[in-house]
Amino acid sequence: MLQSTFKKEWLDTKRQGQTLWLSGIAVLLLLLACVTGFKSHQSYQQAVNEVSQSEQLRWLNQGEKGPHSAAHYGIYVVKPTTPLAALDDGLQAYQGNVLRLEAHIRNDSLFRSAQDNVPLSRFGSLSPAFVLQVLLPLLIILIGYPLLAREREQGTLKQLLAAGASPAKLFFAKCAVLFTLSCLFLLPVALFLLYSQTASEAPYTLRNALFLLSYLIYLLLWALITTTLSSLFPTARRALITLLTIWAFATLLLPKLAMNIATTLHPQGSGQAFQAKLESEVYTDARLDAIEKFKQQTLAQYGVSQVADLPFDYAGAQLQFGEQYADKIFDRLFKARLEQLEAQSQSYQLAGLLTPFIAVQTLSMATAATDFSHQQSFENAAEQHRRLMQEVLNFNQRDHGHKAQGHYTAGKELWQQIPEFSYQYPRFTHYLPHYAISLISLAFWLIVLVLLSLFAIKKLRLEEQR
Amino acid sequence: MTTPIIQINNLQKRFGEYQALQGLSLAVHQGEILALLGPNGAGKTTTINCLLGFLQPDAGEITIAGVNPQLDVVTARQHLAYIPEQVALYPRLTGLENLAYFSKVASIDKTDDEFRTLLAEVKLPSHAVDKPVATYSKGMRQKVGIAIALAKQAKALILDEPTSGLDPSASHEFSQLIQSLAKQGVAILMATHDLYRAQEDAHRVAIINQGQLVDTLLFEQLKEVQLESVYLKHIKVGA
Repeated sequence: MLQSTFKKEWLDTKRQGQTLWLSGIAVLLLLLACVTGFKSHQSYQQAVNEVSQSEQLRWLNQGEKGPHSAAHYGIYVVKPTTPLAALDDGLQAYQGNVLRLEAHIRNDSLFRSAQDNVPLSRFGSLSPAFVLQVLLPLLIILIGYPLLAREREQGTLKQLLAAGASPAKLFFAKCAVLFTLSCLFLLPVALFLLYSQTASEAPYTLRNALFLLSYLIYLLLWALITTTLSSLFPTARRALITLLTIWAFATLLLPKLAMNIATTLHPQGSGQAFQAKLESEVYTDARLDAIEKFKQQTLAQYGVSQVADLPFDYAGAQLQFGEQYADKIFDRLFKARLEQLEAQSQSYQLAGLLTPFIAVQTLSMATAATDFSHQQSFENAAEQHRRLMQEVLNFNQRDHGHKAQGHYTAGKELWQQIPEFSYQYPRFTHYLPHYAISLISLAFWLIVLVLLSLFAIKKLRLEEQR
Repeated sequence: MTTPIIQINNLQKRFGEYQALQGLSLAVHQGEILALLGPNGAGKTTTINCLLGFLQPDAGEITIAGVNPQLDVVTARQHLAYIPEQVALYPRLTGLENLAYFSKVASIDKTDDEFRTLLAEVKLPSHAVDKPVATYSKGMRQKVGIAIALAKQAKALILDEPTSGLDPSASHEFSQLIQSLAKQGVAILMATHDLYRAQEDAHRVAIINQGQLVDTLLFEQLKEVQLESVYLKHIKVGA
């Protein structure tokens, strides 16, 4: 049954031409998107390598200077990428890829390419993820809406059933044809993953497998819903209109609405406002009081009356105290912001129960490491590096500053004591709990659509009663 | 008389307020052609849909070669072939491809040569076999429909207005084909308005009106009576 249905659909499709054209255009779009994604990923990867290397050289070759001057000189660290980012650049353009690590302040990421774009360019961006998440479902609908509805309209459905075709086998054969066709569109993606898996020094097997699996399930969901509605509606035209309405809601309107609801429920100020808040909370009279208290405690501890009598350079100690004081405030404010953003993310993911688009979008960005959680991991690691950097520099000032005649300077030997920032994302299993809702949503949709399919098959059994 | 292939006992079906079938009983035996006559709304199509398992009767019983379609529609349909007034085929597929597909979904495995032989048996012109069905006349489509029934080796054939819209020559050819099928032992139930074809081809004629069997005429009687006057008498009484 499956083989003969495949053959029949293939012959029908080939002679109709329209579907072949549509499929050809879709494959072309996807290939184009994959090639541009790959190119942009390659240039990003190259930039990451170049910036990392040149930054390290810049840091090491900054010359002789005071450790605190070096702390302000700072370094830039670049967010690493995964091969999957070529297919789904997610929030990369909005989150920034570069962080400046310097004394006293925890900076926000820089270089958000979306800020450089004109507003309309957002609609023109053709990433493989956009093709997979938005355009492929549309194509599945355009190819699949007449599968059973047109059979009903032209009377062949009744004749097939009367000939002894099993409604369940007929339904699943049609769905299998549609799903197989949609899997063909995933072929360029699968080939890219295979290439990246073999070419990459650190293969992301679990991420690649989950990425592909999420999309396979997503396309299966669209194949199921298209076949189901094609089976339930009396005419192909009505099936098409209903499917297009569902597509518009599922891929365009509901995600936007869900995002608006999530940001309204868990409001988040702008990055600039947050940065201003950080500074205003750190640089207060309370900080001056704390520094004064620290000074008095230190003097008392060493039984001296002035800092010049201390057996170390007090400036270095105070700088480190100031850093630690600010770090506590940073931790508190960033924790609050993180909780707010996490709440936003969870609320948005929850809307995955309304549309599988949100679930697959979340899982796609997650596996590609281009989502908020991965950005957060990178920023946290960078912040730990910044603190380590400040500690090494401040302690060096504290321990050696007082020995110098005049202004104390350090050189390459000190700069080398700070390890190069080399960040690798943790294993994907580390992140899985963040995406539990999306995984459940996909499973939920699969169950719902299988049940709907069974209902459609039951209706097919009593075809003439409609 | 042999055991009936199609057996209908006291069949009843209601659609809301409308009683479509009121205790209809019929039997079609092996090798027999039964013409089912009746005006529009008499219950012919409802009866066919019950036989095909598309409608569940409210009461009564049907068996197709001993199988009740209400209980086992898949097996019952394996014994049946159905040719509607407009044989629905895939217009972009050729006659051969249509025959092959309809046969294969019914789990009938034959080679292309065997399918070609079947199409030749039903006298489909050889030049048409590999042409898209969109180019076929109604008579040619009917022939593909019969070839589907032949491929299936069905024990019963149900025809719904098979000669409607056929020219006399195509109608005659069709008549010969179903006669030949009957000779091979197929039980044929032919719902029709074509009194001439019924009188020429049928071994028995059953007249139904308002969901009830109102008369049955045997082959011998058909030679002696004017079917049209008998039919009109029953229909007027019914009205």
